[in-house]
Amino acid sequence: MKKYHLGEFEEVVMLTIGILYKDAYGVSIKKEIEARLTRNVSVGALQTALKRLEDKGYLQSNEGEATEERAGRPKKYFQITALGKRAMEYTKTTRDELWKAIPKVALNPIIISS
Amino acid sequence: MRLMHQPPKIFLHFFRWFCQPKLLDSIEGDLMELYHERIEKIGKSKADLRFIADVIQLFRPGIIKSVESQHPINIYDMLKSYFKISWRNLVKEKMYSFIKIGGFATGVAACLLIALFIKEEISYDLQYPNHEHIYRVIGVITENGDLNKGVAFPAPMAATMKEDFPEILAAGRFNNSELFGAGSNEVRSAEEENNAYDEGFVYFDQELVNMLQLQFVYGNPVNALSQPNAIIITQRKADKYFPHEDPVGKQLILNNKTDRPYTIGGVIEDFKPTSHLQFNFLIGTTGLEFWPDEQKNWGSSNYATYITVADGVDPHALESKLTKGILENYFIPAMKEGGRSQADIDKLFKEKKAHIELQPLNEIHLFSSDIKDNLVHGDIRMVWLFGGIAIFILLIAAINFINLSTAKSANRAKEVGLRKVVGSLRSNIINQFLSESILFSTVSFILGLAIASVILPYFNVISGKSISLPWSEWWLIPALFLSSLLVGVLAGIYPSFYLSSFKPIEVLKGNLTRGVKSSPLRSALVVFQFATSIILLIGTMVIYRQMNFILDKNIGFDKEQVLLIQGTNTLGKQVVSFANELRDLPHVVELTTGDYLPVRGSKRNGNGFWNEGKQRIDPAVSSQFWQVDETYLSTLGIKLAEGRNFDRNLASDSGAIIINQKMAKELGGNMVGKWITNYAGLWNVIGVVENFHYESLREDIRPLAMVLGLEASTLAVKLKSEDMSETIISLTKKWNKFAPHQPIRYSFLDERYAAMYADVQRTGKIFTSFSILAIVVACLGLFALSAFMVEQRSKEISVRLVLGASINSVFQLLTWNFVKLVLIAFLIAAPMGWYMMTRWLEDYAYKTEIGLDIFLITGITASLIALLTISYQSLRAAWTKPITHLRAD
Repeated sequence: MKKYHLGEFEEVVMLTIGILYKDAYGVSIKKEIEARLTRNVSVGALQTALKRLEDKGYLQSNEGEATEERAGRPKKYFQITALGKRAMEYTKTTRDELWKAIPKVALNPIIISS
Repeated sequence: MRLMHQPPKIFLHFFRWFCQPKLLDSIEGDLMELYHERIEKIGKSKADLRFIADVIQLFRPGIIKSVESQHPINIYDMLKSYFKISWRNLVKEKMYSFIKIGGFATGVAACLLIALFIKEEISYDLQYPNHEHIYRVIGVITENGDLNKGVAFPAPMAATMKEDFPEILAAGRFNNSELFGAGSNEVRSAEEENNAYDEGFVYFDQELVNMLQLQFVYGNPVNALSQPNAIIITQRKADKYFPHEDPVGKQLILNNKTDRPYTIGGVIEDFKPTSHLQFNFLIGTTGLEFWPDEQKNWGSSNYATYITVADGVDPHALESKLTKGILENYFIPAMKEGGRSQADIDKLFKEKKAHIELQPLNEIHLFSSDIKDNLVHGDIRMVWLFGGIAIFILLIAAINFINLSTAKSANRAKEVGLRKVVGSLRSNIINQFLSESILFSTVSFILGLAIASVILPYFNVISGKSISLPWSEWWLIPALFLSSLLVGVLAGIYPSFYLSSFKPIEVLKGNLTRGVKSSPLRSALVVFQFATSIILLIGTMVIYRQMNFILDKNIGFDKEQVLLIQGTNTLGKQVVSFANELRDLPHVVELTTGDYLPVRGSKRNGNGFWNEGKQRIDPAVSSQFWQVDETYLSTLGIKLAEGRNFDRNLASDSGAIIINQKMAKELGGNMVGKWITNYAGLWNVIGVVENFHYESLREDIRPLAMVLGLEASTLAVKLKSEDMSETIISLTKKWNKFAPHQPIRYSFLDERYAAMYADVQRTGKIFTSFSILAIVVACLGLFALSAFMVEQRSKEISVRLVLGASINSVFQLLTWNFVKLVLIAFLIAAPMGWYMMTRWLEDYAYKTEIGLDIFLITGITASLIALLTISYQSLRAAWTKPITHLRAD
């Protein structure tokens, strides 16, 4: 069951990388998450997650261009691997199944109480 | 490239330091990009802050590099290999390792003990909360070119100082003079019958209690001494006299004086060992007057005075203000009133430059060797001396290490050569030998710590301290560890550079001559070792000579077989009949009832004397004024130079006085029959005694005057007995008849005399232990060095023996080199030792001479010890059959 484990934040990161497609590197991922989810993302948290995902084989990276405002350091672009894709899908299906399994009443408690 | 803003450097470096190299570039790029973007949006300072926050948040597992990845080349295994090789070498060369480590450990132990000793010495009186504002008042006059410093001041001075000078917030006094009953007394609780002898009595101001903020166990600190006849006792004494109870309000009886009990106002914690004040019973001064108007009298100085100054007061400015304000406004008028002549006063201020100094509280312990204060002190010179000796012993041990390492280099040369051939850099080899020396030093430190903890009790006995190893202090282990690293590096640095300088090609070709010949440096180090040891030997000899000189010197009285029975004041008037009964005992030759004895710790009473009618003209002759009886001179064997002894039967002898030759000389000579005067009246000089040493031999004999009186807290009994214990039993029987509630307490005059020089004995013992230590460590080195030398030259010796050399000539060949070094060391050490010990002897007015024999003895001793050390190896070499060494080739 632990085959494809994705934590909440990890899932968000994976999805965002998917959204950004060819343009997913540290700063852009951070900004995208902050913009879409209106939550603060620290560089530390993001980089730890990225490293973990890469170590698990869900992401792969390649070095990009170095610019002046990066003090000559290259960007590191991330892409979702096939394994990563399966993990995301697995997560999504398990969620969907869980959603489906909730009886309708449970989410509409007002009707019962009256 | 456009000049860019830089984020805070430290944090950037910090990040680079901890970040995994693989991640470093991209993350740093991200950080920089964000940083520059933020500068545009929110300004540099906020961007800096966010940058710092980011870096700190990046400091987490996953980003931080792991320990292994820190060293791309595996230095850990390298170190492991270094230590393994070191360990194998250590085990292989057992004797050399033992000498290296044993010597080092000894040095470390000595250093450790001395460091603890010094730490305690310099931490005196720091426990008093306000110590930086408290000063002791010192009176200074120059007499015959000598600075004369005292701490006794008139009773009203403390209060006057506080009143007249706003800088002074508080002023308190104590009086620890035996003359007034401080010191030791017979004491008991009012509920008890039996007296006990106790020491450490002092008259103490309530204000001084407040100033020092003494810690109370029972009672109210603010008013513990504010009632008349109040007394504060220490916890230790409370446990002795009032076990398991709060004694506040209970009463103590001193010397059977039931009419004047002392009420306990409080119990304080025992004075810490690091306090210059060490008392047990603080008697309050409230309402206390030793004679009418004593507390207003400026003519008599008996009180040690301490002041607390306000924040920011310059003590030097205050000193000159006090000198002017106190001496001129109070002392001079009092002296005039007391009948001192203007000449006398002028002399005191102009010629003798009388002035007041202030001594900070925490300097009292170490900087009071020239101050007469009736307290026990340390001496800053001892601190320096000890520190110096410790460092020298460690140096001697380190030299063994250096010498043996470089000498044995030949054996390691091949290893070094091979290492270089397979690619070691010089720095690698230096590192290897440094880690080896650090290993040695660490092992030595552990061993040294063990040795130190074992010999600490003995050290405490010798040094008179109560030091313990501060295991509970957090700094002990790190400090020792750091020191072992430091010492390891220092001792290893020369050998490792020397060994790593070998050229592989020469070494591997077999030119292993290095280390065989004695290098000049190695010789110099041996000379240094022995010079140090010889200086210590000379010191030891001179100190013992001086000690013997003191004990054997004709001091002008007979201190042998004189028993002092103490505490007889509790007998009251009965003391006379007790004395008479003792006289009838067969072994008692003579006895005297005198408190004023020619040893330290008995009563003293300083007075000014003049020839009759000259008190307003001449300066006073300051003299001791003792009350004795007519058998005093005969009991102590003091000889009359002129005139006669006291005679009880002559009524007129109550006005008679006997003076010593020194006083006679100062009063103008030919004194018998003349009249002299002091505060107590007019006296007729009936006799002059030969000078005798009634104070320490450090000082010249001062004037002394004796009159008839009955001061009887001590009976001095001259005995003539072979069987001392039997005599003491019969004396004890008599005593118990008179004082059934008080155990007899006695001491011997010669022991009391020797005790005056306990510090000299102590110094002597310390010097002996350290010089033995130094010699042993130096000899260990010499032994190892000679063993090595013999080993190296074994082939040469064998060839010599085969060709017909005598054992004698081989022996000479091997020993002469070393003996030569010891002789050179002696030539260097002798003048230095002579200079140092001459300086030490300057403390004594009466001293032994540093004769030639001392140098002869030390020189011969050192050479003999060295010779013995070497000859074992040399003889062994000379006696082995040549074939054993020649067979190998």
